[in-house]
Amino acid sequence: MSTPARRRLMRDFKRLQEDPPTGVSGAPTDNNIMIWNAVIFGPHDTPFEDGTFKLTIEFTEEYPNKPPTVRFVSHMFHPNVYADGGICLDILQNRWSPTYDVSAILTSIQSLLSDPNPNSPANSMAAQLYKENRREYEKRVKACVEQSFID
Amino acid sequence: MSEDPENVEKMEGDSAKPDRMFTLKKWNAVAMWSWDVECDTCAICRVQVMDACLRCQAESKRDFYGKQDCVVVWGECNHSFHYCCMSLWVKQNNRCPLCQQEWSIQRMGK
Ligand SMILES: [Zn+2]
Ligand SMILES: [Zn+2]
Ligand SMILES: [Zn+2]
Repeated sequence: MSTPARRRLMRDFKRLQEDPPTGVSGAPTDNNIMIWNAVIFGPHDTPFEDGTFKLTIEFTEEYPNKPPTVRFVSHMFHPNVYADGGICLDILQNRWSPTYDVSAILTSIQSLLSDPNPNSPANSMAAQLYKENRREYEKRVKACVEQSFID
Repeated sequence: MSEDPENVEKMEGDSAKPDRMFTLKKWNAVAMWSWDVECDTCAICRVQVMDACLRCQAESKRDFYGKQDCVVVWGECNHSFHYCCMSLWVKQNNRCPLCQQEWSIQRMGK
């Protein structure tokens, strides 16, 4: 059955293949276009550099009127990522716009890695270290980068 | 609120026009419209606004009316979308998804 949400996701996938943004990739799972696997490569000149962070994106039939649920599968240490991998990012919640697509979502999350927002923390330890002890913060992030090679 | 059937009716008056879409004159008009609105793709479903939206395509409303009932709506901000796509979005947030201005309809049509 081809619903509007599924058709939109096919377009998203086509755009992602034809015009791939740097440092992110994503594709629907084999048997379900409503569930995608994605990878974000840690941005250069950040402690996340060289990491390959895996995510899942789950869409509903209300997409693109409702945002998908995006979750890191790889273990993350970041002020705006919850312990379960959930992401605290305005455009995935109250600032969502139906004009966003998978490319836009993944590039926004990638820039969140470079520019955390410690004022709305999902991981208060990470937020505190980011503000007060950048060296320790980077050490903890680097441990995630190492871990991301293994998962 | 569901789609207003009255608006659908009005559009049917235009049903003789598509034949002329293929003349050079008509193409000029289309090009000028897209200047007007900056972009002629509906940013919500990513289909050209002159074509039926993804929802109408999925429901394959080609039977009797062709694409006539899937109209374009322009906001005061000059952004354009399919009426179908926009009417679903404004139910949860009455702002233009592109410029975040309060959404108010400037005109509708094809
Ligand atoms: Zn549309
Ligand atoms: Zn439509
Ligand atoms: Zn606008």
